[in-house]
Amino acid sequence: MAASISGYTFSSVCYHSANSNSDHEGFLLGEVRHEETVSISDTQISSSELLQVVVHNHEPCAQLFSFYDYAGQVNEESLNRILKDRRKNVIGWYRFRRNTQQQMSFREQIIHKQLTQLLGVPDLVFLLFSFISTANNSTHALEYVLFRPNRSRYNQRVTLSIPNLGNTSQQEYKVSSVPNTSLNYAKVIKEHGAEFFDKDGVMKDIRTIFQVYGALQDKVQSVCGEVEQSERVKEKVQEEVNKLKQQIVLRKRKTTDEERRLQEAQNPEPRLTPEENTEPPETSLLSRVAFHTPSTPERPGPSANPPAYADLLSLQNDSLLPFSSSPTSAALLPRPQAVGSPGHPSPSPLGLGLSAGPNPAPSPGTPYLGNGDGSSSDSLDRQAAGQEDDDEEEDDDEDSSEYENLVSEVGQLPPVSASVLLQGRPAALSPDGDASVRGSQT
Amino acid sequence: MAVSAVHLESDAFLVCMNHALSTEKEEVMGLCIGEVDTNRIVHIHSVIILRRSDKRKDRVEISPEQLSSATTEAERLADMTGRPMRVVGWYHSHPHITVWPSHVGKNQSTPLPHQFHNFSFHCHCKLFQLVCLHHSFSTTDVRTQAMYQMMDQGFVGLIFSCFIEDKNTKTGRVLYTCFQSVQAQKGSEYERIEIPIHVVPHEAIGKVCLESAVELPRILCQEEQDTYRKIHSLTHLDPITKIHNGSVFTKNLCSQMSAVSGPLLQWLEDRLEQTRKSIIELQLEKERLTQELATM
Repeated sequence: MAASISGYTFSSVCYHSANSNSDHEGFLLGEVRHEETVSISDTQISSSELLQVVVHNHEPCAQLFSFYDYAGQVNEESLNRILKDRRKNVIGWYRFRRNTQQQMSFREQIIHKQLTQLLGVPDLVFLLFSFISTANNSTHALEYVLFRPNRSRYNQRVTLSIPNLGNTSQQEYKVSSVPNTSLNYAKVIKEHGAEFFDKDGVMKDIRTIFQVYGALQDKVQSVCGEVEQSERVKEKVQEEVNKLKQQIVLRKRKTTDEERRLQEAQNPEPRLTPEENTEPPETSLLSRVAFHTPSTPERPGPSANPPAYADLLSLQNDSLLPFSSSPTSAALLPRPQAVGSPGHPSPSPLGLGLSAGPNPAPSPGTPYLGNGDGSSSDSLDRQAAGQEDDDEEEDDDEDSSEYENLVSEVGQLPPVSASVLLQGRPAALSPDGDASVRGSQT
Repeated sequence: MAVSAVHLESDAFLVCMNHALSTEKEEVMGLCIGEVDTNRIVHIHSVIILRRSDKRKDRVEISPEQLSSATTEAERLADMTGRPMRVVGWYHSHPHITVWPSHVGKNQSTPLPHQFHNFSFHCHCKLFQLVCLHHSFSTTDVRTQAMYQMMDQGFVGLIFSCFIEDKNTKTGRVLYTCFQSVQAQKGSEYERIEIPIHVVPHEAIGKVCLESAVELPRILCQEEQDTYRKIHSLTHLDPITKIHNGSVFTKNLCSQMSAVSGPLLQWLEDRLEQTRKSIIELQLEKERLTQELATM
């Protein structure tokens, strides 16, 4: 079996994954071709069948658990709602995870079996993307493996190729002709070869193919224009949705505060110093921080207003903020040691810049410091969070990821609210460990 | 002073990936457009695909016109966003070559194939020309980067490694890394310093990124046309050779259409459909939220 995926589809999956602050999944659409090759040798004639899986595009899921529940039970109705008429084109599905082993998890195996039956694709494939980074975040790797879990246990991985332009070498042009003294040769090729050229001496084929290319490029431009317009519309509607969400959160908070004040007025008690006094004014940021968010069942959309850089910088400048009330404090949690960094990175006082062990914590105001001296004791060896996923389920958390060593590192962490730890991967470590705060992890 | 970090917008990242995955037989390159903030963080908002004007194996040249149009593009982006934009870095791809962090590279016992890179470009009326020996990632790219940094200390280099496969585990890999160059002492070798790079989520694809993405087939076609014109101008070729060359041009253009233009169009159409579906869902959510707000 051979499989291929278009470079544009591949990049698109990477793009959606980068935009997601948790795992990301979706379906692979394409076709399966049976190719038969006949090979003839002196001793035998044999034919072999090659199953060619070609991925044309992907259907990303907006959220995790959109077509299955926490027990891994697939809901056919939800599946149909996501796929609609594209259901017949599904040849597989994919998952993007950070800092995990290149193995299917138990839940993924269960889901895969059900999808195989529901979709009626006997050789349904599963593409697993795994993302790892060096501790100083200067180098990131996206590894991908294509599984066909319905086959025998020992033959499950399939090479995935990305067809491309390959050799665009223009060395195939000939700059000189083979010398030939035959007058007959010259005469014949001149006379009959003239068919290929038009009156200007240009090859007719070239004009024709150029017209084909021109028409194709025009179409690409025009569809690109439509895409651009729709992106702007989507941006606008997304912004409106985000504003409404913020207003709702503010309204809820206001109501809660009022209720509390009413209660306190009725039952006066000595008040402890409230933490809220030291909260930054950007309540929209806090509304998305795990330990302050009201428990809503859904997590905010992936693009829910990441804080503007100005906001982030102003927070950094205010070094008096205690950890527990800083939205960036979730970033203090060190990344799992996926890539062989020597021990846990010591978090900076401002919660950013997770540099490798031996280097001193970065000074405030310069949150991201690579190893300025050029040394890096990291390698891309996979010392990932490492536990095997054969017999375990993912976090029940919506932002599920496969690693557990986060909990084991509690002892070395600064005093961050325990609720952050319990909720799995901190939202602040968005796509590539970026410490810019976005999303939440309710 | 070194840049403290690079924030690469995800749509610019998408264009870089598209470009890097377009060919496994040669290195592609482009320029990064964006801005640097007061914390020395470089924000890359879009990229420009560059054309290699000379496709000999031992040369990679950026034409002055390209650099000039890159600056124009930056100005256009500046007008659109109201923020100062300029060329802040460059990227190129390493097909089949893994980009290891420097200490791992130093331990490699088998040298990688040598390639010569000859970079020449015009920028702000200064012409830099250097010939570099490409030996693994460290040497050439680091020296090239150092030359760029002479113009602009905030200039960063990105490398995308792709088309790597571990045959044993059938695992494919795509890597990207960010670096600058530093010279420990005057006259000593340039060394690479690793710069943290983060891909910043950007849900919608920006206009400039889309335009850059669809430039690729145009650039490829122009390169092919230029080469063919040079060949075509040779007068001593017999008709058979001319027919051959014309067919090579046709063949190459067909390759470009089937390997690049076609998949690009396919992706654009899918993206359009996905976005339209998202808009419908978002509008439903907007209505729901509006109602919820009204009842509070």
